[in-house]
Amino acid sequence: METIALVGNPNSGKTTLFNALTGANQKTGNYAGVTVSRVSGVLRTPHGNQYELLDLPGCYSLSPNSPDERITRDVLLGNQEGAECPEVVVCVVDASNLERHLYFVFQVIDLGLPVVLALNKVDLAEKQGIRINIELLSEELGVPVVPCQANKGKGVIDIKHAIRHPFPHQSSRTWSADKAVEKAIIKLIEQLKSDGVSAPEAQAIHLLADSAYRTESQPGVDGGMQKQAIDIADTLIRSGLAPEESISKARTRKVQEICQVAARRQDAGTLTLSDRIDQFLLHPFFGWVIFVVLMLMVFWTIFRVAEYPMGWVDSGVGALSDWVSGMMSEGDVRSLVVDGIIAGVGSVVIFLPQILMLLFFIGLMETTGYMSRAAFLMDNIMSKVGLSGKAFLPLLSSYACAIPGIMATRTMDSAKQRLLTIMIAPWMSCTARLPVYALLIGMLLAGQGALVQALVLAGLYLLGTVTAFIAAWLLAPRVKGSEEVAHFMMELPAYAVPDLKYIVRHLLERAWSFLYKAGTVILGICILLWALQTYPKPKEGTPAAEDASLALEQSYMGQIGHAIEPVVKPLGYDWRTGTALVAAFAAREVFNSSLAISYSVDEEEFEEDDDFLAQLRAQMAAATWPDGRPVYTPLTTLSLLVFFVYALQCLPTTAVVRRETGSWKWALGQLGAMSVFAWLAAFLVFQIGSLLL
Amino acid sequence: MIADIARDLKIDTATTLSQASAGCQLRIRQLEGKACKRLREIGFCEEMEISKLSDGRNMICSVCGTRMALSRKLGDQVLVEMV
Repeated sequence: METIALVGNPNSGKTTLFNALTGANQKTGNYAGVTVSRVSGVLRTPHGNQYELLDLPGCYSLSPNSPDERITRDVLLGNQEGAECPEVVVCVVDASNLERHLYFVFQVIDLGLPVVLALNKVDLAEKQGIRINIELLSEELGVPVVPCQANKGKGVIDIKHAIRHPFPHQSSRTWSADKAVEKAIIKLIEQLKSDGVSAPEAQAIHLLADSAYRTESQPGVDGGMQKQAIDIADTLIRSGLAPEESISKARTRKVQEICQVAARRQDAGTLTLSDRIDQFLLHPFFGWVIFVVLMLMVFWTIFRVAEYPMGWVDSGVGALSDWVSGMMSEGDVRSLVVDGIIAGVGSVVIFLPQILMLLFFIGLMETTGYMSRAAFLMDNIMSKVGLSGKAFLPLLSSYACAIPGIMATRTMDSAKQRLLTIMIAPWMSCTARLPVYALLIGMLLAGQGALVQALVLAGLYLLGTVTAFIAAWLLAPRVKGSEEVAHFMMELPAYAVPDLKYIVRHLLERAWSFLYKAGTVILGICILLWALQTYPKPKEGTPAAEDASLALEQSYMGQIGHAIEPVVKPLGYDWRTGTALVAAFAAREVFNSSLAISYSVDEEEFEEDDDFLAQLRAQMAAATWPDGRPVYTPLTTLSLLVFFVYALQCLPTTAVVRRETGSWKWALGQLGAMSVFAWLAAFLVFQIGSLLL
Repeated sequence: MIADIARDLKIDTATTLSQASAGCQLRIRQLEGKACKRLREIGFCEEMEISKLSDGRNMICSVCGTRMALSRKLGDQVLVEMV
C-alpha cells in the first residue's frame, strides 16, 4: 500500500484532519504536542484506492529539537528503519497563521516529494480578516493548495481528490540563497549523486541547512555523506558565510514575499478576544486565583455531582448481588459469584463516574486551550526546582494516566528535563488511584460534606505534585546532561469552544476500556483472590468450620497475609490490608476488590438494605485487631492514603519508562525508590501520628 | 555620510525584545544569538511585525495573530524597533 504522510506545525490540526480522512478517533487537543508518535490509518479515496495515512508529530522545522520532531524528520528523509519514505506528503497549515507555518512548508517542499498543502482553519483566518489568494499561493509554492476546515469536515473530500492517482508532480524549491551557498548546494548534490545516495537534493539541502544533521552521528545517516557536507560547509564558514544562516534567511525572505502578495492581514495589532481573556487568566495574581478556584471546583464536582450516578451503580451492584444470592443455592459457586466477582469487580466499577468526571475536565482543558496557559503559570514555580513549564503538559496528562504522560515528554527539547519529568510523572495521582482515594476518604470523613472531601482529595493531588517537584530538584544534579536550562517557548493557541462531541466520544472510549479492564484483569484477580481466601476449607468439626473469620485466617490468603503482616504492621495495617496492598501491585483498583472480598465473610452482621459501598465501609470500620482495637482508625486510613500517593503500583508504567529512557536502571530504580519512599512516608505518618494522638 | 548617520540612528533606536515595554507594536530588526534559528522557525524573523502583550519572567508576544510565550533569555536575542 502506498503511504501518505500528514505533517505540519504543532496545533495546525493534523490529527483532526487524520481523523476526518480515516474515520479514526485519535486524541486531539488545542495545544502544541498532542501527537508524539507515528500513527497510521487507512485512507480510502472516492475512487476506491486505499492508502496508508501516517499522522506524524507536529514540528516547527525539520531540524529537530526534541524526540517527537526527530520521528517526523526521519520518516520524511527515509532514514527511519523499517519504514519507506512516503509517496505523498500532505502539509497541514493553519491559515490564520500562514506567515509562521510557511517556513516549515518550504522545508518539506525542499525534500522533492509530491506535496499537497491543506490550508486548514480557513474559517478562523476569515474571522481574523486575512485574505488568502489560493491560486496565487499555489502558483508561488508550486504545489496544489486545498482550503479546508477539518473539525467540521469541510474540504476533506477535496483533499482526497488532490491526493488520488496520479499523484501531484514532485515539488521543487522556490527560494535561492547567496551565490556561494547555491554553488555549494549544487556541488554537494553532484557528489552525493555520484555516490548513489537516494534523494541527493533533499539530503544535500538538509545537510547544509542543519549543522546537527551533518555533524552528529545518527542512525540511518551515512557517515561518508556527512563528511562531504562538513568539508563543503567548512569552506563556506571560513569565507564568513554560515550555510544554515543563509538558507534559513533565504526561506524567511521567500515566506515574506509570498505573504505580501497572497495573504493580506488586515487590522493587525488590535487585541483579539483570546488576548483579552489572557489578560485575566495569565495575570500574575488573578491568573493563580482563577487556576486554584478552577481546580477546587473540579474536585468538588468529582464528589458532589458524581454522587448521583455512583448511587445508581451502587444500587445496581447491590440489587444484582441480592438477586444472584436469591437465585442460587448456598455453596462455593454462589460464594464465588457474590463474594468474589460481584463484590470484587463492583467495588471498582462504582467509581467509574468519578473517573469519567475527572477525565471530562481534563478533556475540557485540552480542547479549550487552557492547558498551555496552565503550563505558562506553572513555569514560575517549576523553574525554581529546575524544571521548565513545558514539563507541566506531560505532568498534567499523568493525572489521567502516567503512560500517555510519559510518552508526552517526547515534546521536550532537553534530554535532562525529559528524564527528570519521566522520573517524577508517576507521583501525579492517576485515575487508577481515584477509586482507592474515594473509598478511603469516604471512610475518613464519613458524614462530612462534599467540600471537605474535595479539599482532602485536592490535598492528596497537591501532596504528590509538591513531593514530585522536590524530588526533581534533588535529582537534578544527579542526572547527566547539559546544565543549560532550555528556554521557555510555547505557543498559546486561540481559545476554542470545547468540542463536546469529541469529548463524549473520548469518554465513552475510556469508559469502555475501564470496563474492559474490570471485566478481564480485575475479574481474573478477583477470582484468584476469592480462591485464595476460600481454600483450603477447614475440616468438619474443627473450630474453624464454625467461625468464618477463623477459616479465613487459615486459608492460603490468611497464610500469605500473616507472612506479609510484619512488613505492614509498622504502618498500622492488619494482614488483610497488607494482602490488598500487595494485590494492588497488579492494578491499583484491586485494593478495593481485595478488601471487599476479604471482608465479605463478615457480611451477616450488617443490615441487608444498606448500599453496597456503605456496607463495605461499615465492614471495614468494624474490623478489629485481636485485642479489640479498630484497624481502620483515621490515622491508619491517612497512612494508607499517603502510601497510595507515593507507591508506583503499575508495572506497565515501569515498562514504558524502560522504553522511553532506554535503560532498566532508571525504570527499576524508580520502582524501587518509589516503593521504599511510599513505605517510609506511610510509616512516618502512622508512627508520628500515634505519638501525637 | 548622511546615510551612515541614518543607519547609526536606526541601530540606536533598536532595543531587545526584553527591554521593550509591554503594549508596543514592534518590528524585528535582527536576531542575534544561539537560538536565532529556532526563533526564525517559530515565526520570529526579520522584518516581522509583532506586538508585546505582557512582560515578566516570560513575556507574551503576538506574532501574526498567535500568542507566543517567550523567556527573557530568548527575548534578549531579538532586536526590535518601534513601529
